[in-house]
Amino acid sequence: MSTEVLVFDILAIIAVIAALGVVLARNPVHSAVSLIITFINLAAIFVMLHAEFLAAVQLLVYTGAVTVLIVFVIFLVRVDDLPEFYGGNPVQRIFALLIGLALLGEVAAAILTRSAIGASDIWTADAIADAGGNVQVLGQILYTDYVLAIQITAVVLLVGTIAALVLARPESSTLPGRVKRTGLISLAHPRGADRGIAPALPAGLEATRRGETPGVRFDDRGVVLVDNAEDFTETTAWGGDVLEGED
Amino acid sequence: MEELTATHFLLLSAALFIIGMMGVLTRRNVIVIFMSVELMINAVNVALIGFAWEQNSMVGQSFALFVIAVAAAESIVGLGIIMALQRRIDTIDVADVRQLRE
Repeated sequence: MSTEVLVFDILAIIAVIAALGVVLARNPVHSAVSLIITFINLAAIFVMLHAEFLAAVQLLVYTGAVTVLIVFVIFLVRVDDLPEFYGGNPVQRIFALLIGLALLGEVAAAILTRSAIGASDIWTADAIADAGGNVQVLGQILYTDYVLAIQITAVVLLVGTIAALVLARPESSTLPGRVKRTGLISLAHPRGADRGIAPALPAGLEATRRGETPGVRFDDRGVVLVDNAEDFTETTAWGGDVLEGED
Repeated sequence: MEELTATHFLLLSAALFIIGMMGVLTRRNVIVIFMSVELMINAVNVALIGFAWEQNSMVGQSFALFVIAVAAAESIVGLGIIMALQRRIDTIDVADVRQLRE
């Protein structure tokens, strides 16, 4: 067994174990850390395959950008109210393991019995070294044969950025018909205030009524007025139930 | 297997892809499903670069670069959808996401 195969085996085994960690970990943060380990190992394997530029891109884009974005999203959403956070479904896991092993066996049989067809291309290690290196050859191919594809990729990235902005916008500004609660809000008697007759406040409330709460006023009908939406609360100023009218 | 061949890389690619696929099928957390999709995309990249290395070609590496670019755009949109899900229906459990079914 050559050193190359030994190094590959170590990298591949760590990558597969970390990939299993992504799928099996209960906490999404642990999954994200395992994902970073997998990506770094795959970058090392790309170096073994003489794809140095792609190894650098893998580290920059995946480990640097995508995983950090995932961790930020984990901060922003609640992950602990899922049932699987407190343990997965064991029957489902056993079935998944069996089906996965069967599929892996099928694909491995196909891989092990295959034979390479087609003529080898010109880019041997010596040819790449003569042309200046991996980055030079890749750039030359990208900007001659695939120049249209690379421009379409630029458009795809632009559209993706716009889509992210639209999706991350607050919904109140995108949904029509939703009224923002601003201005004067009556919370003591929300339905009776406009009818002119409001019931009296509960007994013993006069002190509270004349209290000096900044931003909150009481008018003569027992209606509480607030000056802005931040002062609005669901509970009444005297801590009791909302007064109901005769209706 | 004394020598390093493309078979090694293809087996690694198959293993990573199937692990990612089982993650997509069994997990209920949208974020973990998203990470499993990223795992599958990387498995395809390993296969592409392995074939390119076997054939002394650069086409596979070019395609892998496009795959990485499209995966970056996909991750932006996917994470935006997760944020919108959390804001709109207050969960990231795929079993609770039924808007298109009802």
